[in-house]
Amino acid sequence: MWYLLLNQLYTMAGLAWRLLLCLGCALAAPDLVLEEAKRTVDLSTHLAKVSAELNLANPPGGAGPAGAFLLALEPGLEPRLAYLGVQVKGEEEEENTLEVRETKVKGKSGKFFTVKLPSPLVPGAKIRVSVEMVFTHVLQPYPTHITQAEKQFVVFEGNHYFYSPYPTKTQTTRVKLASRNIESYTKLGNPSRSEDMLEYGPFKDIPPYSQDTLKVHYENNSPFLTITSMTRVIEVSHWGNIAVEETVDLKHTGAVLKGPFSRYDYQRQPDSGISSVKSFKTILPAAAQDVYYRDEIGNISTSHLLILDDSVEMEIRPRFPLFGGWKTHYIIGYNLPSYEYLYNLGDQYALKMRFVDHVFDEQVTDSLTVKIILPEGAKNIHVDSPYEINRAADELHYTYLDTFGRPVIVAHKNNMVEQHIQDVVVHYTFNKILMLQEPLLVVGAFYILFFTVIIYVRLDFSITKDPAAEARMKVACITEQVLTLVNKRLGLYRHFDEAVNKYKQSRDISTLNSGKKTLETEHKVLTSEIASLQSKLKTEGSDLCDKVSEIQKLDSQVKELVLKSSVEAERLVAGKLKKDTYIENEKLHSNKRQELVTKIDNILDAL
Amino acid sequence: MAEHSGPDSGKHKANHANANSAALLHGRAGAGTGAGGLSGGLSQPAGWQSLLSFTILFLAWLAGFSSRLFAVIRFESIIHEFDPWFNYRSTHHLASHGFYEFLNWFDERAWYPLGRIVGGTVYPGLMVTAGLIHWILNMLNITVHIRDVCVFLAPVFSGLTAISTFLLTRELWNQGAGLLAACFIAIVPGYISRSVAGSFDNEGIAIFALQFTYYLWVKSVKTGSVFWTICCCLSYFYMVSAWGGYVFIINLIPLHVFVLLLMQRYSRRVYIAYSTFYIVGLILSMQIPFVGFQPIRTSEHMAAAGVFALLQAYAFLQYLRDRLTKQEFQTLFFLGVSLAAGIVFLSVIYLTYTGEWYAKIHIPIIASVSEHQPTTWVSFFFDLHILVCTFPAGLWFCIKNINDERVFVALYAISAVYFAGVMVRLMLTLTPVVCMLSAIAFSNVFEHYLGDDMKRENPPVEDSSDEDDKRNPGNLIVTMLMLMLLMMFAVHCTWVTSNAYSSPSVVLASYNHDGTRNILDDFREAYYWLRQNTDEHARVMSWWDYGYQIAGMANRTTLVDNNTWNNSHIALVGKAMSSNETAAYEIMRSLDVDYVLIIFGGVIGYSGDDINKFLWMVRIAEGEHPKDIRESDYFTPQGEFRVDKAGSPTLLNCLMYKMSYYRFGEMQLDFRTPPGFDRTRNAEIGNKDIKFKHLEEAFTSEHWLVRIYKVKKLDNRETLDHKPRVTNIVPKQKTAVLDL
Repeated sequence: MWYLLLNQLYTMAGLAWRLLLCLGCALAAPDLVLEEAKRTVDLSTHLAKVSAELNLANPPGGAGPAGAFLLALEPGLEPRLAYLGVQVKGEEEEENTLEVRETKVKGKSGKFFTVKLPSPLVPGAKIRVSVEMVFTHVLQPYPTHITQAEKQFVVFEGNHYFYSPYPTKTQTTRVKLASRNIESYTKLGNPSRSEDMLEYGPFKDIPPYSQDTLKVHYENNSPFLTITSMTRVIEVSHWGNIAVEETVDLKHTGAVLKGPFSRYDYQRQPDSGISSVKSFKTILPAAAQDVYYRDEIGNISTSHLLILDDSVEMEIRPRFPLFGGWKTHYIIGYNLPSYEYLYNLGDQYALKMRFVDHVFDEQVTDSLTVKIILPEGAKNIHVDSPYEINRAADELHYTYLDTFGRPVIVAHKNNMVEQHIQDVVVHYTFNKILMLQEPLLVVGAFYILFFTVIIYVRLDFSITKDPAAEARMKVACITEQVLTLVNKRLGLYRHFDEAVNKYKQSRDISTLNSGKKTLETEHKVLTSEIASLQSKLKTEGSDLCDKVSEIQKLDSQVKELVLKSSVEAERLVAGKLKKDTYIENEKLHSNKRQELVTKIDNILDAL
Repeated sequence: MAEHSGPDSGKHKANHANANSAALLHGRAGAGTGAGGLSGGLSQPAGWQSLLSFTILFLAWLAGFSSRLFAVIRFESIIHEFDPWFNYRSTHHLASHGFYEFLNWFDERAWYPLGRIVGGTVYPGLMVTAGLIHWILNMLNITVHIRDVCVFLAPVFSGLTAISTFLLTRELWNQGAGLLAACFIAIVPGYISRSVAGSFDNEGIAIFALQFTYYLWVKSVKTGSVFWTICCCLSYFYMVSAWGGYVFIINLIPLHVFVLLLMQRYSRRVYIAYSTFYIVGLILSMQIPFVGFQPIRTSEHMAAAGVFALLQAYAFLQYLRDRLTKQEFQTLFFLGVSLAAGIVFLSVIYLTYTGEWYAKIHIPIIASVSEHQPTTWVSFFFDLHILVCTFPAGLWFCIKNINDERVFVALYAISAVYFAGVMVRLMLTLTPVVCMLSAIAFSNVFEHYLGDDMKRENPPVEDSSDEDDKRNPGNLIVTMLMLMLLMMFAVHCTWVTSNAYSSPSVVLASYNHDGTRNILDDFREAYYWLRQNTDEHARVMSWWDYGYQIAGMANRTTLVDNNTWNNSHIALVGKAMSSNETAAYEIMRSLDVDYVLIIFGGVIGYSGDDINKFLWMVRIAEGEHPKDIRESDYFTPQGEFRVDKAGSPTLLNCLMYKMSYYRFGEMQLDFRTPPGFDRTRNAEIGNKDIKFKHLEEAFTSEHWLVRIYKVKKLDNRETLDHKPRVTNIVPKQKTAVLDL
């Protein structure tokens, strides 16, 4: 929340600054003087990094206080400028970044920037500012084509003097090279040379806009990798995840390989293909998970992931070493927990993510497209970027369970370097109720599915009525009932048997009688039920009816046997029967009964 | 006396056991009749039964699906091997350009300079299926990449195959056997070999279509209903669109009808089913552009037509016999006609298969494919395990209790066994029927032994308990044995799937001593290099095996590929590979070749490389150019194929040899072997001083597995070997000559 406020302040300040600027243009008095300019041109990589320490003075007796000053760029270099930053060193050695804005100066080509000073420079006062500029693609390989065994040489063309709209009293230029192997360099003012360093100057009293070509031709085997185009997709989910996917087109923009590529030499000789790129490191955010690294034809198996405390380091090896002029293409992606990047206050949300992230050290991105996919239903989108970006029209993106699409912010920027790794803040509002939409959608879909199945199973959709099938089903229903009843009836006998057994042990006639009674009554009920079902079957015209009647017949025989055996048990208990005759009889009965039961079973099976 | 309880509790148990085991093992309720489910009528047990069947089928699907995922888990979601890459590429084209564009697709990236009309030369069923699934998923905003759809298509369809096998077996025998068959087919290696995740090939969906067509055919023969027959035709149409193996259906079904006629099992149902099937199926199959008019022109479809005519004649005679009285004459006439038709039918079949055989044996390009070799006994056991032993028992059960549809399965089994014996590849058609018949055998055994158990509880004789104890262990042992066999079968299936059939072959893996894995990704490394760093229209020459992969992964124009339709073109490539550099350069110039890609396994000991395939190239080249290439030139006088010093000079100087071993002679792989020691062939190479005049090494992958050479353009002018001749002619005269 705090930075929401801050942000508003910031925008207000921006407005105020714009107003001031109009004044500032008028105030940018031309009569400032550069007391001293110390410039370092770092050419040790494939970038030209120029840093300059300026000692700016408003000469006594000047036109008045200067609120801003002008920075100029030579006409040749100006399209290659990727980054410009101006800082001022305060008394406590803290560094304040100054606001830089592009302007035009009449009658002069090149690029001009006005830099607003923290406080107007009154006549006679001085200020020290440091300027940092990064240029891309200014080192031209020469020769442009080399073989695998050769080293890479590049040419840099610049200016001996610090290009400035103000007169300079004294200035020096240091050129830092990648190696001590220098083919040639311009020798204005007899520069001193040590190891990989050239020092020009000091030059005294240089008039404004003075130019003199500085040219260095030297060996530079540092990786000339360029991201020719990159698409960074950030997909925000309110369920706790932010998915990042970067599609990278990479090219080696150094001297082009000519002639064969010999794997044998590359493997056996350490300095073969010295300017080629075998691998590089990409630093991902510390919370990155599920990292993948692939291309159109699948996973690239030649990579390693190292999880450190404050970052995840990924050693990326393209499928093949990149020689001059070779290119490759890959996709890298990972998930981040949203709590580290997504903040909210009620329905107000703010996403704070890097606009571009690290790919390799000293990276150059020629063209970048960033797509931020916000959750479905995000509204009032507002983007705060640390530098100028080109917003394209918003798009809609459809993915899992989307109905009306997720808003996508699309932004482009060209010619970027490491200094552009800065946070961008996206503000939007999102109604939390919408979170329920997706689960409800799934629930609804399953509900409909089950419901249709239920309806389909329960209802009859046949066009024609099939009376035969219907009758069959009815009969099946009745036979099933018959089955259960018959089984129950057979169960009764078992209960009765138990009663008889008990009686045999306890010799208590009442148990036997009560058992008999229950058997009789329940048997009657069941038999009558079966009979009624039988008559139903008859009305259906089924031939199963006869079988049921057969069961009934057999069952009555079974019952007779059961009763008989009970009577015999009674007689045994009463002592009217000898034990062995009883046992013999009992065996006979049980056999008979078994036969009958199997018969019933068989009929039941046939039903 | 307590034994009197037997009938009741036994019955109860039987009912419940019925619910459980009927689903599993013996389907008393549905025995033999199709309408068993309804007329069985036990609403509660039927509910249980269907729930159990559903669960078992679902689990079979799940098991089948997950056992096919070894490659995805070990490696990644990637398309395997060779043909799938073409299928994937076409599916990708279909998904991104639409159906009509796909049908009209002329692929100028294949068979340079001829090109290929893809829409008219593929079975589009696979691509359309995958494309349709992708389209539906995307309609529902399920953003799945087409590659993942392709990778997982075959495992998903294996579940459908299991279900259709279940249905078919249920029709043939009973539900229990059906469920067993479904479980078998879900995990049997013979089928898994063609349907692991990533193996995006026609067979993956075709086996489903095959089984489903057979199911519907059996259903239509059983019911004689036009509805089922039309369903059968539609399924047949899908099969035709999916795989060339549809010829199997269009021959087996007529054979079935023919045998039914011979067995005097003609009925109106058969007449309706076959007449409808033949006419509608014929018309539908002709809608596939690739098939076109073949069904009425080629010999392999003639059997169907013959049987159709025979059936009409037979039906007509039957009709006449009902009307007329001259019995003897009728029978005589009938016999004469059926004999004639039978002879015609048999001769057609004979011609068909002998014709195919001829092709298989005499065209080297077909013989050169390993999967066209005859099947060994080992691979029967390897792919089918215990099923191969039990399926004759199932066949015997079927023949013993013969009916119309069991005639069908018997014919299916016999013909499939024959075809599987001819070609390893056709093991695939044998697998489903083996699963079905084995399931019937197992089901019968279980039914017998487990079923008896229940019966035996019934005898209520007092002292029978001892007997029970004696008999039960016997049953138990048999049951346990059967279960053990099934368990071993499952273990074997998993083992085979994991070890033999789950390698993407695009990515190789080697294991270190400590068990860690090295991935050798050379193929993709080189293909991706081609894709990124060569001209978009560069033409790459390679042996045809790699054509589809180059097109799919490198997206470059190829000269020949796995669709080996033009033998002379392949022979030309073979000739270039087997000639010396100068002769090869002529050929390559005439074919506009920019790059040559070869596979070389000598560094890591990969045996499937081009030198090992080289003799096939020579043979195929010799077939078309017998004057220039002779196989015998590549052998030593002793008739050996050697790459070392003793090898034939023709071999040591041919382009393939030079490209494989360029600068390999300097390379020492380890200290025990001399430089230039080929690990695949275990020999020190014979020609270490290899220089190229017209080629230059463009790329070699990390383990030297893939080597790519660039064909140089002609120099501006031929450089002279000798000094320019110096003459004393006065310059003045020279100008005069020039003026003329």
